[in-house]
Amino acid sequence: MAHKSSQSDGLWYKRAVIYELPVKSFCDGNADGVGDFPGLIEKLDYLEGLGVNCLWLLPFFPSPLRDDGYDIADYCDIHPSYGTLDDFRRFLDAAHERRMHVVIELVLNHTSDQHLWFRRAREAPPGSIERDFYVWSDTDEKYRDARVIFVDSERSNWTWDPVAGAYYWHRFFHHQPDLNYDNPAVLGEILRVIDFWLELGVDGFRLDAVPYLVEREGTSCENLPDTHTVLKAIRRHIDERGPHRMLLAEANQFPADVRAYFGDGDECHMAYHFPLMPRIFMGLHLEDRHPIVEIMQQTPTIPGVCQWALFLRNHDELTLEMVTDEERDYMHLAYSADPQARINLGIRRRLAPLMGNNRRRIELLNSLLFSFPGTPIVYYGDEIGMGDNVYLGDRNGVRTPMQWTSDRNARFSKADPARLYSPIIMDPIYGYQGLNVEAQERDGSSLLQWMKNLIGLRKLFPVLGLGTLRFLECENRKVLAYLRELENDAILCVANLSRSVQPVELDLAPFAGFVPIEVLGYTEFPIIGERRYFLTLGPYDFYWFELQRRD
Amino acid sequence: MTSTGSSSSVATETRSASVDIVVGVTSYNDAATVGAVVAAVRDGLARHFAGAASRVVLADCGSSDGSPARARDSLRGTAEILEVPSPPTTDRLEMPYHRMPGKARALRGILATAQSLDARACVVLDAGIETVTPQWVHWLIDPVLTHGFDLVAPLYRRHPYEGALTKGIVYPMFRALYGVRLRQPITGEFACSSRLLGHFLDENVWDRDGAHAGIDLWLASSAASGDFRIGEAALGVRHHHAHADETLDLGTLVTQVIGSLFADLENRVERWQRVRSSVAVQPFGELATGNSLQPVSVDPEKLIESYRLGYRELRDIWTWVLPPRTILDLRRLMNGPGASFRLDDSLWATIVYDFALGYRLRVIAREHLLRSLVPLYLAWLASFIVEIRDRGEEDVEQRLERLCAAFEEQKPYLISKWRWPERVRT
Repeated sequence: MAHKSSQSDGLWYKRAVIYELPVKSFCDGNADGVGDFPGLIEKLDYLEGLGVNCLWLLPFFPSPLRDDGYDIADYCDIHPSYGTLDDFRRFLDAAHERRMHVVIELVLNHTSDQHLWFRRAREAPPGSIERDFYVWSDTDEKYRDARVIFVDSERSNWTWDPVAGAYYWHRFFHHQPDLNYDNPAVLGEILRVIDFWLELGVDGFRLDAVPYLVEREGTSCENLPDTHTVLKAIRRHIDERGPHRMLLAEANQFPADVRAYFGDGDECHMAYHFPLMPRIFMGLHLEDRHPIVEIMQQTPTIPGVCQWALFLRNHDELTLEMVTDEERDYMHLAYSADPQARINLGIRRRLAPLMGNNRRRIELLNSLLFSFPGTPIVYYGDEIGMGDNVYLGDRNGVRTPMQWTSDRNARFSKADPARLYSPIIMDPIYGYQGLNVEAQERDGSSLLQWMKNLIGLRKLFPVLGLGTLRFLECENRKVLAYLRELENDAILCVANLSRSVQPVELDLAPFAGFVPIEVLGYTEFPIIGERRYFLTLGPYDFYWFELQRRD
Repeated sequence: MTSTGSSSSVATETRSASVDIVVGVTSYNDAATVGAVVAAVRDGLARHFAGAASRVVLADCGSSDGSPARARDSLRGTAEILEVPSPPTTDRLEMPYHRMPGKARALRGILATAQSLDARACVVLDAGIETVTPQWVHWLIDPVLTHGFDLVAPLYRRHPYEGALTKGIVYPMFRALYGVRLRQPITGEFACSSRLLGHFLDENVWDRDGAHAGIDLWLASSAASGDFRIGEAALGVRHHHAHADETLDLGTLVTQVIGSLFADLENRVERWQRVRSSVAVQPFGELATGNSLQPVSVDPEKLIESYRLGYRELRDIWTWVLPPRTILDLRRLMNGPGASFRLDDSLWATIVYDFALGYRLRVIAREHLLRSLVPLYLAWLASFIVEIRDRGEEDVEQRLERLCAAFEEQKPYLISKWRWPERVRT
């Protein structure tokens, strides 16, 4: 039996460095122009060398692919473009052999309208169990307090189905009907889906769109108590079937609302910290730590076994739902002057273009990602500074093929270039001819090598994954200083958010007698005394100091 | 010896009969000595641990000379021997430096058997050793059972020129990395507590590439990396019957031993990069004194000549891992009389560390890299011998202490380059 990598360390997800990838975009093993599991298996050595130890795979299930696979037509199989279940098993074994965990998507809220459950439901008589797998209504007037999320493409959360002769409820696209968790049979089926993948050996599930599971009149239909009842039942079920499997909640809400998804440590193990991401970008552009400190201070304490999932960019737009209108306007002016870069309420760009391809800024943001309390998630391609294509529609511009070499199709696929699922980035700055893994593997100073080192350092210091966070007061608001502490370990992080050299004086008196060791270069700094500790930081500089006691 | 189980030839025995002590003996074509070893074990257990329940476990690595039968014969009528299944012979194609193919599996079998018997202490001995005495059993086990130690490693008395690879690289680097002054971390014998043997069995070392040669060292580093009490038992002299005619060439020896040491670094980064300075381990046993050691003759001039030949032939390979300043320092060793040949301790430590980094980054094929270290090691050995010849054992100890201090002092050099590999060769 294959090694089940989650069985050894109960808190593995707190120590992990997660790598998010769409199977279709990573590597094409059968030359049909679409990435697949055989191709992914070929690239596991690369991922192991990068140092990531958890892979989060975007949906790879049978689907009409009208929402990049989040419209699932069969939960227990593989989309034929990506391979077979046997291919998936081989991938899982190969990942586990490399001591990598594997997290897959579990879209709880809705299915594709092509799913058997929906096709059966629309034909079934009203009131039957089959019909009630989804939420139906004779009018489109119910739940009017629920907002429309995809404002660019949907006008209502209700769509008329002529076959059923009724409206069905959907919080996302109209071709994604919401499942009805008031029907116990739905949860029963979802638990069977979970068992299927657990028995194959997956280590965790990313629970997509969890705030929307249940609908109640007179509410926003988000974050309702009955939704948490469903999630607790799922958690209990998973715990009963083996140790150390992880649930990651996607709840694009303010931290205070997300807190509920951890329960008392009996709901989800992890949840994304959505509002942090835009505020990091804002703090950088403003050259002011305030937006970052403010959101972290608003972040509630979570149970000890739980963890925030942190990211700079992902497969979706840089979402700006959880900022004020004024902040959103600022972000659009700062980061998406080109309206083509905007979608819904956010910005559809990768990290490097957002940073103007400024290496120092990219490194600074990654240093924050890897030293803030939470588990960092690296989006595929961002480790080499890949670019995007805002003209591809929807969010496809940040889902282009991985750039492996300067060969044809960036060695992503041997297919005819016209057959690729997406054009490869070919512009003069981010084009695959110059920006690719092979080139950066050879270049000791490349972003890829730098990321490898940073990931190694992150794994070296458990305090970064497990420790507490404490901001340090300093007069200069362009400088962000904070302590990560765990038992006797302490890491001091100092970051200059500005483009110019900055001085800073820190009150480190509680650490008098300690010596700061700069962890990247293992350089010993002067011993800390009772007086304020003075540092100078170059443009976008950051330091991590291990505070070592000198006896 | 108290027998606690029925006669058995395989270690698939259930947990029905727990014991206090398991003594495991590993053998491979040791018919000449295995009888004496298990007899010494039997006598040692009877003499020093008469009230304790114990079992002798034999893990034979596929002997063709009837070693297991000799072991059984030796105990016939006094005790029974439990045999763990012979490991497969797949890795016999590559003979390890300890000349025992499949040793990792043999060790694992012994430890698993000890665990299944709930043993409080487990000792492992090599059946090829000619100098095992009943007293060894006492010195190895007593610290575990009486004083609460988790690992007791042997400290063998050696001529100053013997075990030079351990003296020049393994011990100083192991000590600097893990902070434990374990003098001989690659010997095949040890005693461990039930807690540590459970830890060993959980470790991801058994099926790793190179386990056939590296398992002894990896178990030592595993213990040193954990929260375990470690002691060292002075056992006197270790003579192995096979050493005289089965010694590997130096290149293979360096490849296996130093390769094992370097390979382990990658797996224990979280530990060794956080360790500062080192601590002594608790001594047990009796350090023999006097002139009982066999004389060893080494001509440093020949070693120096080998180094100089190596410099001419291998310098281009060294430049892949060594910084320019080091290459220039090595060039200075090319001339001058042998009597004043000196390889500075700090220089030697940084050379070893740079090779460890080159090994990690695979700057060239690892075996080639390790073999290219041989002339440099011979330079260190020549320098060491020139310095210590005609000196007493205490002076030699002090000299080694200075070498170890240099390895500890240069550890930040290794860490800084490890964390930022683009600094290799700078």
